[in-house]
Amino acid sequence: MNAANYSGTRGLMHEEPLLFERAHRASEAIALPGLADAEAPAALQAFLRNEEAGIPGLSEPETVRHFVRLSQWNHGIETGFYPLGSCTMKYNPRINEQLVRLPGLAHIHPDQPEDTVQGALALLYQLQHALGEISGLPHVSLQPAAGAHGELLGIMMIRAWHDKRGDHKRRIVLVPDSAHGTNPASAALAGMKTVEIKSAANGQIDLEVLRAHLNDEVAALMLTNPNTTGHFESNIAEICHLVHEAGGLVYGDGANLNAIVGKARPGDMGIDCLHINVHKTFSTPHGGGGPGAGPVAVNDTLAPFLPVPRIEKAKDAYRIVHEDEASIGPVFGSLGQVGVLLRATAYIAAFGREHIHRIAEDAVLNANYMLHRLESAYHVPFPGLCKHECLLTDAHQNRHGVKTLDIAKRLIDLGFHPMTVYFPLIVHGAMLIEPTETESRQAIDAFCDAMLEIAAACEQGDTEALHAAPLHPIRRRLDETQAARRPVLTWPKHSTGG
Amino acid sequence: MTIPADLQYTKEHEWVRIEGDTATLGITDHAQEALGDIVFVELPEIGRQLAPGEAFAVVESVKAVSDVYAPVGGEVIEVNTLLESEPEKVNTDAYGEGWIAKVRMNGETAELLDEATYTTYLEE
Amino acid sequence: MRFLPHTDDDRRQMLQAMGVNAIDALFADIPREFHIAPGSLKLPPAASEAAIIRAFTEAAESNRHTGNHRYFLGGGTYHHFIPAVVDYVISRGEFLTAYTPYQPEISQGTLQALFEFQTMIARLTGMEVANASMYDAATATAEAALMARRITRRGKVLLAHSLNPRYRAVTAQYLSRLDGQVNALPCPEFDTDGAALATAIDDETACIIVQYPDFYGSVYDLGELRRACDAHGALLVVAFSDATAFGLITPPGAMGADIVVGSGQALGIPMGLGGPHIGLFACKQKFVRQMPGRVCGMTEDADGKRGFVLTLSTREQHIRREKATSNICSNQGLMCTANACYLALLGDAGLREVALRSAAALERLVQGLPPQISAARGPRYNETVLSFRDHEARQGFLTAARKAGIFAGIALEQIDTTADNRHLLVATTEMTEAEDIADYLTILEQST
Repeated sequence: MNAANYSGTRGLMHEEPLLFERAHRASEAIALPGLADAEAPAALQAFLRNEEAGIPGLSEPETVRHFVRLSQWNHGIETGFYPLGSCTMKYNPRINEQLVRLPGLAHIHPDQPEDTVQGALALLYQLQHALGEISGLPHVSLQPAAGAHGELLGIMMIRAWHDKRGDHKRRIVLVPDSAHGTNPASAALAGMKTVEIKSAANGQIDLEVLRAHLNDEVAALMLTNPNTTGHFESNIAEICHLVHEAGGLVYGDGANLNAIVGKARPGDMGIDCLHINVHKTFSTPHGGGGPGAGPVAVNDTLAPFLPVPRIEKAKDAYRIVHEDEASIGPVFGSLGQVGVLLRATAYIAAFGREHIHRIAEDAVLNANYMLHRLESAYHVPFPGLCKHECLLTDAHQNRHGVKTLDIAKRLIDLGFHPMTVYFPLIVHGAMLIEPTETESRQAIDAFCDAMLEIAAACEQGDTEALHAAPLHPIRRRLDETQAARRPVLTWPKHSTGG
Repeated sequence: MTIPADLQYTKEHEWVRIEGDTATLGITDHAQEALGDIVFVELPEIGRQLAPGEAFAVVESVKAVSDVYAPVGGEVIEVNTLLESEPEKVNTDAYGEGWIAKVRMNGETAELLDEATYTTYLEE
Repeated sequence: MRFLPHTDDDRRQMLQAMGVNAIDALFADIPREFHIAPGSLKLPPAASEAAIIRAFTEAAESNRHTGNHRYFLGGGTYHHFIPAVVDYVISRGEFLTAYTPYQPEISQGTLQALFEFQTMIARLTGMEVANASMYDAATATAEAALMARRITRRGKVLLAHSLNPRYRAVTAQYLSRLDGQVNALPCPEFDTDGAALATAIDDETACIIVQYPDFYGSVYDLGELRRACDAHGALLVVAFSDATAFGLITPPGAMGADIVVGSGQALGIPMGLGGPHIGLFACKQKFVRQMPGRVCGMTEDADGKRGFVLTLSTREQHIRREKATSNICSNQGLMCTANACYLALLGDAGLREVALRSAAALERLVQGLPPQISAARGPRYNETVLSFRDHEARQGFLTAARKAGIFAGIALEQIDTTADNRHLLVATTEMTEAEDIADYLTILEQST
């Protein structure tokens, strides 16, 4: 093991019991504002809870220590390199955290009068405009709460457009076999039938296969570009043309927008509708799985169907449009994930028109540099230029009995978060590496060194550490089979401490 | 990997044991091995009428899901409720305690392979 | 550019190492016709950190907020007290900047917090299990309807009129492209009649969805609904808006709900103009494999130590694709930690006190109403409907209240478009002080 690379430590790493296993306060609550000595109104007497829920109450110091200790068992982008392909784990500017906590943005109610939230609406409107400009699709809904939610909305609008023209038989959505799982799931939820199309040998859309699937029942093609192998679909114009010619529309999955932001625009290529994961491209924090936001940008064709509520600018004031006959209606309970969206507004403002393209440039530079450094040691299923992420497999290491999973777990011991593993599904033993533009050359080189060290260990037959890994984190490999066979999803009420 | 001689098989890797008009159905050793540790088996409802080739059960491992297709047509008369608490029986005893359902056959069958043909099919 | 670590030298050296002369060569796979010139997008010029702070601060200060106004607004979003510790915990970079815990060995913090969250949400709602969150209450309600359809293999979904109209609209939206029907059921004005709703349940019904306390704040018995669901094999889905209610009143699980959905915003999350909040989702253990969304489970590691993992993933889109129980991927992860931290600080006793103060404030307000204003009758938690003589009377009061720095309620028709324009949806919390109520009543007296 190269000790210089190893950045993990177990010193002062504490075990921490569950909240339910700690002694907790039986009665004394925190000091609260409002009516002291409040009693339950007489009318509610018949409905009072007769058994305590079993929510353990801790003092403030204990609570802080509990959650801080838990936090220390986590790896975040602030802790270290996090090259998860398809996830765009880039640095999340601290300034954005400060901004969304301004009382005038954090502590405002969605139903207070419009004229009392003009400042917030202006910032959101600014984001709508910026996303329209960046995507080349000028009409934007900020409502979708996540990428998959945006996909659902997009397919709903595409279906509405076909239906509006009386073309009710268009119920097929074509999805490449390399697509994110959300694509077919979203299409199904919109009441569509998904048909999977097989990728060509280079991992890209096969024009002949596409042609063969196009007919008068196809509503849309869902396309990720750059695709999930990290490559740009250079036939994009032809692909869009074929789909349009057959009467369908093209839905763009914007998960990989980071590769082209400021360099090229999906709208210019013929994409009709695109969701944008602001928690990827525009650097809003992932929060251990959310909240994100998945605004959808569309061209003029689909604009009338955008959901309500949405923000419009009327003379000097911004207003929230709640009803609109052509709109498909709401897909979410409010305007959207406002706090997340505001962080994206600030992020775009920091780059501005002068620098926005540098996001993509450095992201693509880093990915290609990694590919260059790793291609001698790892199998590259689809050679050539990559965009913001590079795809490797474990084919060479398989010969030594080492799999992608082992490589991933070994990386943990060497001080790195693993890459995305076993995705895309069309590649056996896939390792999808996305460095993003916010990693220094030093960090990237250190990760490549670790990868090369692992490959060298395989070649030398020194694979014990790979199979045993990880040894250093607070927990070693976890038994997922047991978890799924006999699911324990909550702590039993009558165990220690209630 | 075992392939008992007294059973018949499908190309989707189900096995069927026919005794009189009753057929016992399960997935083959090859199928359980490919799926890995089975964590859940979704059993059909008793009384359900199956057409040959129809998906009638679902077998899940941690990271994969597979439909199980009926090798024969007929009515489901019994299901292996042991799998509700011990789905791992499909791994440990695919042709025995890991059976999934029993069907009263209506005479229709999907394409069934004998042991030798299935063995050859797996080798291809 | 301060977020980009490379110097021009770094870039040059990296390109050189690859044998590439210029960055643009790395974009040669994008057809030339689609390249756009740097600086050509119609975006504002790059702003310094100081300039961004100034712009955001100006925008924020132009808004009215809880720092300068008193809030009687509810309708799904509530102004409850948030202990400072909650925001501190979710600001920790290890929680804030982590991804979905796909590598459990280095995500035990998020995972244990999720397990604690699931446990506390299940206990609070009186249910057996909870998932690791949905986007919001509206989409959680829609997902509950879809789940009930899968479990019962039936297509008919009944929605009570007293369910928050936004939850109704989003649920109808989700179901409108699928086979089956969605029926809206009438309710008495500003109330829910469980026995009357129960008569609509039949053998084709997948589920009935009611809200408790309902959209108008009414608290009522779910017994008749439970019995009718049992008689017809339908599921009882109960939605809620203000989760603090169950610190005081009987939770839906104790009255036999099969699926409980709602908002966790009241549990330590700022109102934030409507998001990000969190959708809570709890159900009976036997339905767990039909549940949407991520879920965390307990297990052991290779050394036999207790640990946590995301589990039952075969329900999810990345494995089951078009047959998944939901398309959800990113959820509200960080908000689960916020809810867990809030609940840990309050405990049963604190939560009960929050609920008591919220309910008592409404009670005091209603008791003090002048005779020209009527409040909806029957048991209410912390929300009710005030009815004015006419539209002008209500608007006069709203204007007068605003002058005094009070947001006195939500014009009911703003959310419930079928309502007359003379009603006001009013909510209280523990943030409502005695003085606020007194001022409210004085203005009401004087302006109407």
